[in-house]
Amino acid sequence: MNIDLKNLTIEKAHDSLKAGEYTVLDLANAYLKVIKEKNSELNVYLEVYVDVMAQAERAQAMFTDGSATLMTGIPVALKDNMLFEGHVASASSKILENYKATYDAGVVAQLKSQGAVFLGRTNMDEFAMGSSTESSAYGITRNPINPDYVPGGSSGGSAAAVAMNGALVSLGSDTGGSIREPASFCGIVGLKTTYGTVSRSGIISMGSSLDQVGPMTKTVADAEILFNVINAYDAMDSTSVPTGKRVSTTTTLKKRIGVPRAFVSTEGVNQEVLKNFEESCEKLKNAGYEIVDVSLSLLKYSLPAYYIIMPAEVSSNLARYDGIRYGLSSEGDKLFDVYAKTRGAGFGKEVRRRILLGAYVLSHGYYDAYYNKAVKVRDAIRNELQEVFKEVDAIITPTVPTLPWKFGEMSKDPVSMYLADIYTVGANIAGVPAISVPSGFSESGLPIGLQITAPHFAENTLFTIGKDFEKLV
Amino acid sequence: MHLEDMKKLAVMARIDMGDEELESMAHDFDAVFAYVDQIREFDGNSNPESGKAPTDHLLHNIMREDVVTNTTGACTDKILAEMPKTQDGYLKVKQIL
Repeated sequence: MNIDLKNLTIEKAHDSLKAGEYTVLDLANAYLKVIKEKNSELNVYLEVYVDVMAQAERAQAMFTDGSATLMTGIPVALKDNMLFEGHVASASSKILENYKATYDAGVVAQLKSQGAVFLGRTNMDEFAMGSSTESSAYGITRNPINPDYVPGGSSGGSAAAVAMNGALVSLGSDTGGSIREPASFCGIVGLKTTYGTVSRSGIISMGSSLDQVGPMTKTVADAEILFNVINAYDAMDSTSVPTGKRVSTTTTLKKRIGVPRAFVSTEGVNQEVLKNFEESCEKLKNAGYEIVDVSLSLLKYSLPAYYIIMPAEVSSNLARYDGIRYGLSSEGDKLFDVYAKTRGAGFGKEVRRRILLGAYVLSHGYYDAYYNKAVKVRDAIRNELQEVFKEVDAIITPTVPTLPWKFGEMSKDPVSMYLADIYTVGANIAGVPAISVPSGFSESGLPIGLQITAPHFAENTLFTIGKDFEKLV
Repeated sequence: MHLEDMKKLAVMARIDMGDEELESMAHDFDAVFAYVDQIREFDGNSNPESGKAPTDHLLHNIMREDVVTNTTGACTDKILAEMPKTQDGYLKVKQIL
C-alpha cells in the first residue's frame, strides 16, 4: 500500500477511507513507518502509543457502520502536554516523567468521539517554555526541512511531526507563539485560536490567561476542519466561552487588511523576512485585497507585558508540582526539603528561571510596578486592536522576525530568544485568533511564515484570507 | 539583582538551587528587566485606551450547580496509582505539626 503522505489532506484521506481504497490501519501503518525511519534522527515523538492499532480498528468500525465523520481515522500527533487517559503526559519535564493521565483532555475527548487516531506524544520545550524545543528534558528535536536548525517551539515536535509526514495533523498549544512560530519554522500552517474557544481542560497549564490549543496542519482547509471539531464549549474549563457568546463583530469582509508598519520594521528584524513580507503584501493586493497602514502604537508593549504576566502565572501554576500527589518525589528530612529537592531535581533551567521571575514580579513592593501595570497595558492593547478592527478585516505581520536558527545560537542570552515572540505574543495578550501560513523560503531554503490576525471569534476570516494566500505562494 | 535576593526567591519558589546557578540567573534577570522595564514608559493616565474596561466576553462570573457529577470511587484507583506514597487507600505524607 503506497499512500502519498506528502500531499495528503484530511478530505483526501477521508474520501479514500470511505471508498475503501485503504483502511484506517493502512493509513496509520504508513505514518508509523515514517516515524520508524525518521524519529531516531529527528527526535520528534517521545513515545508512539502502544494502542495505535486498537484505535485504528475502532475507527475502521465507524466506517463500516456508517458513523464516520471527517476526522474518523485521521492520524493525529499530540503535544506532550495534553492528557490522554492511561498514557504518559510529561510536558517534556523530568518532574512528570512517568505521569500517566487519569482523564482525557477536552480536546482529546472531542477527537476520540470522532474516531481520530492518536499516534503518539511529541517533544516540546519543558512546560512549553521556549521557542526552539531545546529546553526539553528529553533532547532536542531537529527541523525536518534542515536538521541543522531548530524546529521552533514550544510545539516543535508537533510541527516537525506534520512536516516530516509523521502525522497528518497535530495539536499544539500557544501561550506566546508556541503554535505559530514552529509552524513558520517547519513550513506548515499553525492556528492560535480565540481565547476561550478551545477547551484548556487537561492541558498542562503554563499561563492560564494566555494558553490556547490549536491545529497544526499542511493546509488552511485542514486547520479549519480540525478547528471545527475542537471549537466547542467545555464545562470543565471555566474560561470556555458559552456557545451563544461566540460572536464575531465581522459580518461581511471589507477585503481590507492592515499592516502596522512601524511595528513590523522593529529593530533586529531579518532583511529576508522583511522582503518576503513585502512580497506577501503584493500577492494579497493582486488577489484583490486592499492593504492599508494601521497604527498600533501599543503593540510594542505586548512582549514586556507578557514577560510579567506569563511568569506570574507560571509561578502559581507550577506550585502544584511538589512531590506529594503525583510526579517525581525526592526524599527529604522535612516537608520543605521534599518540596525543594523534588523541584530542584525535576525542573530544568528555563522553568526555574521563569518561576523565580514570577515570584519576583508578584512580590511585595514590585506588584504594582510590574503585574498591575502589565494588566493595564493588556487591556489597552486589546482596546486598541478592537478599534483598528473596525477599519480592517485582519492585520498581517511576519510570524517571526528571524529565520530558524542553529542549535545553541540563542542560548547565551535569554532575551534574544524571547524576542522571537515579538510578532506573535500580541494575539495572546489580546485573546484574538492568529494563523501562520507558509509564505516562501529564504535563499538558504529555510521556511518563512505570514501571520494573519483577526478579531475575537473571527477564525473564519483567517481561513478565507489564508486559503486565498495559500494559492499564491 | 544580588545573590541574597535570588536566594530568597529560590526559597519562596521552593526550589533547591546552588549559588553558582543563582549568580548566573541574577545576570539573566538584569537582562530581562532591562527589557521589561519598557513597560514603565506606558502612561496609563494619558492613554485613551487605558482605563476602559473590556466590554467583551472575557469577564463574567462562572457558577456551577452544586451537584455531584461523578460516582464515588470511580477515579480513586487511577489517582492513587500516581501517588508517590499511599497507605490503605490514602495519600501518605510527612508529619506536618
